[in-house]
Amino acid sequence: MNKAIIIGSGISGMACAVTLADKGVRVLLASPFPSERSQSVMAAGGINAVLSERAEGDTVDSHIEDTLRSGAGLSGREAVTGLCTHAEEIIRYLEKIGTVFSVDASGHLLRRAFGGQSYKRTCFCGSATGKQIVSSLVMEVRRYEAAGLIERRLWSCFHSALIRDGVCRGVLLFDESQRKLIAEYADALVIATGGQNALFGKTTGSTQCDGYVAGKLFMQGAELKNLEFIQYHPTTLETAQKRMLISEAVRGEGGRLFYNEGGKRVYFMEEKYGRRGNLMTRDVMSREIASTGKEVFLDISFLDRKEINRRLPEVRDLCLKYRNIDIAREPIPVAPSVHYFMGGLAVHLNHETNIRGLFAVGECASIYHGANRLGGNSLLSALYSGKVAAEEIAGRENSGKTPDFSAFLKEENNALMCMLASKSSFPVMYIRDMAAETMNRDLGIVREEKALKRGISDIDYDLSVADRISYDSSGMPYFNYSLPAILTLARATLTCALERRESRGAHYRSDYPEADPACAAASIVAYQEGRYSVRLDKEFAYES
Amino acid sequence: MKVRVLRQIAPGTEPYWESFDADVPGETSIAGLLDHLNYHDDIVDDHGAKTTRIGWECSCLQGVCGSCAMVINGVPALACETFVKDLKGDLITIRPLQKFPVIHDLVVDRSVIHENLKQMNICIEEYQPEPRESRPEKGKAYLHQYMAAKCLKCGLCLEICPNYGSGEHFFGAIFANDCYLVSARNRSKTAEIKKLYGEHFGSGCSKALSCMDVCPMKIPTIASMARLNR
Repeated sequence: MNKAIIIGSGISGMACAVTLADKGVRVLLASPFPSERSQSVMAAGGINAVLSERAEGDTVDSHIEDTLRSGAGLSGREAVTGLCTHAEEIIRYLEKIGTVFSVDASGHLLRRAFGGQSYKRTCFCGSATGKQIVSSLVMEVRRYEAAGLIERRLWSCFHSALIRDGVCRGVLLFDESQRKLIAEYADALVIATGGQNALFGKTTGSTQCDGYVAGKLFMQGAELKNLEFIQYHPTTLETAQKRMLISEAVRGEGGRLFYNEGGKRVYFMEEKYGRRGNLMTRDVMSREIASTGKEVFLDISFLDRKEINRRLPEVRDLCLKYRNIDIAREPIPVAPSVHYFMGGLAVHLNHETNIRGLFAVGECASIYHGANRLGGNSLLSALYSGKVAAEEIAGRENSGKTPDFSAFLKEENNALMCMLASKSSFPVMYIRDMAAETMNRDLGIVREEKALKRGISDIDYDLSVADRISYDSSGMPYFNYSLPAILTLARATLTCALERRESRGAHYRSDYPEADPACAAASIVAYQEGRYSVRLDKEFAYES
Repeated sequence: MKVRVLRQIAPGTEPYWESFDADVPGETSIAGLLDHLNYHDDIVDDHGAKTTRIGWECSCLQGVCGSCAMVINGVPALACETFVKDLKGDLITIRPLQKFPVIHDLVVDRSVIHENLKQMNICIEEYQPEPRESRPEKGKAYLHQYMAAKCLKCGLCLEICPNYGSGEHFFGAIFANDCYLVSARNRSKTAEIKKLYGEHFGSGCSKALSCMDVCPMKIPTIASMARLNR
């Protein structure tokens, strides 16, 4: 294969790019901003791998079983086996390109314990694992750029895919610096654009991850999977701009959750689950916090200040900087927040979607995590998926003569010019904020039919007006043209949550609180002319 | 309070100052202040005249991505971790980084940073670190690599640097740190890297070290310099 285009330059996009370039495929790596701005840099925790020097008793099989268990029956065994089996190879690769892992005095990689895992197997780089991996991959991409195999294209926002007869032939990019649409053709298009944070407004992640690409491709015929499975992080701190993640390390160091009632502290997790109550898994903890209906606090102030300085310096700094809270003296007000999307573009084992030549990798693809993700598996899957897609693409034949897309290009260009000519001062963000309010209200941690139906009706209303409003065009045009697809993705997510009449993994329905064995399959949602059809993948069509 | 913003419609157009009235709590960050100004039904200047929304760049909003680098009251800083309460007086001035071409308002094109590193081929060809046991200073070098790799490529160090112009010959602290990261781990390339470092950093640096004062990651660039000068 000659050429591939990758949309998004975070860890999964870069992993795909360097693997392709290594196999001699030319790559156009397109993103609005450089890799240093990607959400990947925010991944703090670590990356799971059972290495040859491992905790006694640990095996790759144990990693596979932990991952499958966390996925609650919805992650395919073959996909997960591939992921876990290649984990050591990925860590060795990262070492080889210069990732600065945390090591012991003799240079061996340190491992930390992570929730839901049977053994200590999470490799890490201090408190900045994602950032350190990004830095080393940027340098590796640079090597191939200097060799002429990778071309980075900044200021480039995805507009739409160029699809004809079920085959993807390239992409339409909007260049923000020149304010115009540019068509690029290739033998394969890889989507590496992260999760759909913007559906919920403030989350723990980057403002750049908005789900537009998945939503637009959905409207263009790509199927989406497991959208209802959204991981909440139980302990986040509200700030004016966003929700900041308070690391699980605080609970690991003995932090206690409580709320106030009648002037007394109620340690509700300990009351319900005993001594280890504060160490319950993310989904249980999030539901418990939400069900108190009260302001919940996380207290670590009983630890000596010196110990806090030594063990929790990042949490100390963050609370002080953004909320003026001294964690050595006062408890931290916390609430759960949207953190990771298990759902996204439905992909086969080779990471191709139902559209030939269209691939998805990283968080925007749904394959390894099933109904809930195991901590430490997201960085692993970002790297592994990028490599798998690249190996598949490199082994393919060229796609042949490109069909004529000029009529499509002209039509899209005219629509965009109309949008840019608007003199309105109405900000498109108002509609996005309204939709986020709906999603937070009706698709929260605990869900039920009435609220989900209300959410669908509200998003349908937003969708019905979105195209008829003129928006302020003085900002980034991307925000304006991306709105309908983001709303469509929101509608698809609510529809999946409504259709799954059971509780499983991160999806909890108060009207169907138990898991139903008849529903033990992934949700696949398809779109056709405004209609959303959801089916359970009982034939395991995407497990091949 | 008054907020003055240096604005520019597009690359190559004339920049102009615009003033706004704002009343926000002291805990608000400059990122929050910009959002506050932008998200009303209309955006008006301090004379009540309608204007356009202010363009600026953000991603993580917690000081780890470097998107929102700008000059606030004369000091290069990240908007998401600069707070109103820490600024003196009732006037806040915000301008884009001036050592990079403006795309729109506070959004600048920092691709020269990446371009220079690419042109000089600052990358590891073959991983050849020093064996750990042979290092006299034990883990210190390793720790410094961790710090240097935290660089956000935000450009604040270049903005404040008295020696950096537009990146034509002198490439600034970012270059020095990446040179160190390669020379320490690709020993067969060390001589070549040291030469490039000398040409594009060492010979032009007047050691004002203001780069370290504004670095959001607190990278001790001086340690990279010391190691490369050995």
